[in-house]
Amino acid sequence: MQRKLISGISGILIALLIGAVIMLFQGYEPLQTYGALFNFSLFGLFPLATTLRNSVPLILTGLSASVAFASGPINLGQPGQLLMGALFATVGGLYLDLPPWLLIPVLLLLSMLGGALWSGVAAMLRKWFNMDEFITTLMLNMIADFFTYWAISYPFFDRSAYSPMTPQINLNGWLPIWGEFNSNVLVMILAFVVIYFVFNRLTAGYEWRITGQNSLFARLGGIKIDKNYVTVMLVTGALAGLAGGLVVMAGPHRFLKGLGANYAWDGVMIAVVANSGLWATLLYGLFFSAMQTGSLGMELITAVPREFIQVLQAVTVLVVVAGRGYLDILFDKTIARRKARERTV
Amino acid sequence: MNIFTGLINGMISGATPILLAALGGTFTFYAGIFNIAMEGMMLAGAFFAVLGSYYFNSWLMGILCAILGALLMALIFILFAVTLKTDEFVTGIALNLFALGATTYLMRQIFNVKGAFSNPGIVPIPRIHIPLLAKVPFLGEILSGQNLIVYLTIVVVFLSAFIIFKTRFGLRLRAAGYNAPSLDSSGVPSASIRTWSLIICGILCGLAGAFLSLGYVTLFSENMSAGRGWISLAAVILVNGNPWGIALISLLFGFTDGLGLLLQQYMPSQFTSMVPYIATLIALYFYSIQARKRKA
Repeated sequence: MQRKLISGISGILIALLIGAVIMLFQGYEPLQTYGALFNFSLFGLFPLATTLRNSVPLILTGLSASVAFASGPINLGQPGQLLMGALFATVGGLYLDLPPWLLIPVLLLLSMLGGALWSGVAAMLRKWFNMDEFITTLMLNMIADFFTYWAISYPFFDRSAYSPMTPQINLNGWLPIWGEFNSNVLVMILAFVVIYFVFNRLTAGYEWRITGQNSLFARLGGIKIDKNYVTVMLVTGALAGLAGGLVVMAGPHRFLKGLGANYAWDGVMIAVVANSGLWATLLYGLFFSAMQTGSLGMELITAVPREFIQVLQAVTVLVVVAGRGYLDILFDKTIARRKARERTV
Repeated sequence: MNIFTGLINGMISGATPILLAALGGTFTFYAGIFNIAMEGMMLAGAFFAVLGSYYFNSWLMGILCAILGALLMALIFILFAVTLKTDEFVTGIALNLFALGATTYLMRQIFNVKGAFSNPGIVPIPRIHIPLLAKVPFLGEILSGQNLIVYLTIVVVFLSAFIIFKTRFGLRLRAAGYNAPSLDSSGVPSASIRTWSLIICGILCGLAGAFLSLGYVTLFSENMSAGRGWISLAAVILVNGNPWGIALISLLFGFTDGLGLLLQQYMPSQFTSMVPYIATLIALYFYSIQARKRKA
């Protein structure tokens, strides 16, 4: 735990340092920029609430990728699953008319269904035809991208709009907002708790983890790998789909073009940088969200374009992951040296 | 007849970027690197091609800058995956997103635009008209008048096959992937072979990117590689890296690309744009069926 903390924090600091060097190179003030970045994302009620709200799709897709990677399947389909989840929730919200206490859970379930359906396609292709999910999920991402684009341009198009988008969903399907805080955070926390419990306390989660670490051992131990594979794909798809549903229900309340943004790929990066740890996914998700949220303020104050954050994120991932391996070697070395010294004394 | 030549020309220009990137990928495939960064390298190439062409008013500088830009990505890959021994998959994903972020950021920073940059000042790569061939009926429209990069790509296919299978470097390249320790113990550091394979991959992806932004169209738009790097990865895996197979598969993908354009008259463009990706899935299906037969 301590090691992870040290490698994470030192990695982030080095990445910020590299970012500062790039900024200096371009003639910006790094200190002022970082000041603005974190001022607009962490300090104060409104910035903090915004960071929390924005972190929801990142953390959920991150969890989806983390659970998948830790259990074996290389599910890279979060972008597509998110879009399908969002589409399902939107369509449900357009045509269903229920009281809020019923409609909100129904829409959330629909979004999970949409995501699970899309990851299920990849899971079935793997199960029946032994097609590598690594590539099929990527292709399904592109297909989902075009499919949802079609869906919002033709069948569910809002006739009063100028660009492809659906009408707004039923008012009863909007997630409640209390003051500054959006209740999508509660759904995310609930999902996190459930996944954490399943992953760490239930037999199913134990089986997934063992399969991820050593599938041969798991198979010899009597774990049904194929069945678990499908379950993990469906669960991770549902998580990504939920992220999409929440984006619609908490934000624009409709499906607009470009709705998925880069959430899902950022989620994959978060899972990678968190080394598929669930707590680490949560923390890095918050950190990435803070950077993205603050970037608007940063652009306003210091004229550093917002897209700079995307660069900084990728640098953070590379540095933290590379540093992790390096630090491990360093730690092991010092421990070995200390032991050697103790023995000579 | 017009539709037919249009389809073939569409196939060729659709296949070219995928083929170039896949040939780059095949070098790293043989060197035993799980390289998924073609997408990012291509995108960087496409951006720097426009940058070079615009500032120097020359397509040649555009191509050079594209190669340099993609090489920069390859160097980052080398630094992390080969030197620091970071996981290749992680490095690839981060690099792809880095390329996406960096090109968007630089486009905004340098050209002050969002989304796409097009300008009459960007010099496209010329089409080459071959004097005698152009006169041949029907075939002339296909064989002559293609983009310079298309002809270059054909040369690269032959060259790649030659280098990989007929030269000493190719032997070492395959050895690096097949059995790195024995290559190391024979006195050839496998790390340096891997480095070279990545450099070659960078150059070819740079060319692919230059074709995208200076040949296929004359502009740069955000994320314009649009999954082509992934398709090229699928192509490499499908034929186990064989350059001839890659050429064939790329033409097939290019064909679906052209077919999509043709079908646009009959159905919404969103569906026709899906065609190459669905074709990839179908190709993967046949691959896995064959792989199963081979095992049985």
